[in-house]
Amino acid sequence: MSTTPVTPQHSGRSSHGSGPRPGGDRPRKPRRQYVRKRKVCRFCVDKVDYIDYKNAELLQTFILDRGKVIPRRITGTCARHQRWLKVAIKRARNIALLPFAAGA
Amino acid sequence: MAEERFYELIFICRPDTPETDIDKVLSTLQQVVEEQKGRVEKVEKWGVRKLAYRIGKSREGFFVFLAIYGRQGEMIKELERRLKVSEPVLKYMTVRIDEELKRQRKLSERRERRLARRPRKTAGEPAAASG
Repeated sequence: MSTTPVTPQHSGRSSHGSGPRPGGDRPRKPRRQYVRKRKVCRFCVDKVDYIDYKNAELLQTFILDRGKVIPRRITGTCARHQRWLKVAIKRARNIALLPFAAGA
Repeated sequence: MAEERFYELIFICRPDTPETDIDKVLSTLQQVVEEQKGRVEKVEKWGVRKLAYRIGKSREGFFVFLAIYGRQGEMIKELERRLKVSEPVLKYMTVRIDEELKRQRKLSERRERRLARRPRKTAGEPAAASG
C-alpha cells in the first residue's frame, strides 16, 4: 500500500490535541460529575513573606517520609511559595534539620 | 567598604562536647567578627538535637546559632576556616539572608499599605473562596 501524503498528516494532528484518546474515552463522558475541592496555598492564606529554613516542623509537612519534596500539585502551594519552600528545605537539609532523599 | 550584610551561621558540635569547649569555639568566632568590623547580633544555643542524618558517627548534635552583621566577605571566609579546623565541630553552614529579609519587608509593607487603602476585604487574594 502506498502512503498518501494527506492521511498521516491528518491523523497526526487529531491524535495530538483534542481528539479522543484510544482507550479512556467511554467512562470519562460526564465531565463535571464531582467538583474537586480547590486547593489553596497555605502560605498565601497565612500571608507568609519569608519561609524560614530553621522551622523544621513546618518544612517537615512538605516532605515525604523518604525526604523528597512533595510536589505542589499535591500540596496546592503556589509557585512562588513553592520556590521559597524549595530553598528553605535545601538549607535545612544542609544543616541536618531535614533528611536528604534517603532512608525509607 | 561594602554595605552591611546579614548572615546566619549555624554550627553543630559533637553531642558529648563539654559546654566549655563550645564556648571556646564561640568566643573565637566572636573575636573574628570583631576583628573584621562586624558584630554579632544574636547567639542561641539550641542544645542537643537529633540530626536528620548521620554526620560522622553522630546521630545527634549540639546546635549553635549566630546572627551576624558583616561588611567583608573575608570575615565569613575566616569564620568558616576556624570552624573547619576546630575539632568538636561536625558541620556548619552560613547563609546570607539580608536580601531575603529585604524582600520580606517590602512585601509586608506593600500588604499593609494595600490593606490601609481598602479595609473592606483582605487584599491580594483571589475571590475564589466564596462558599
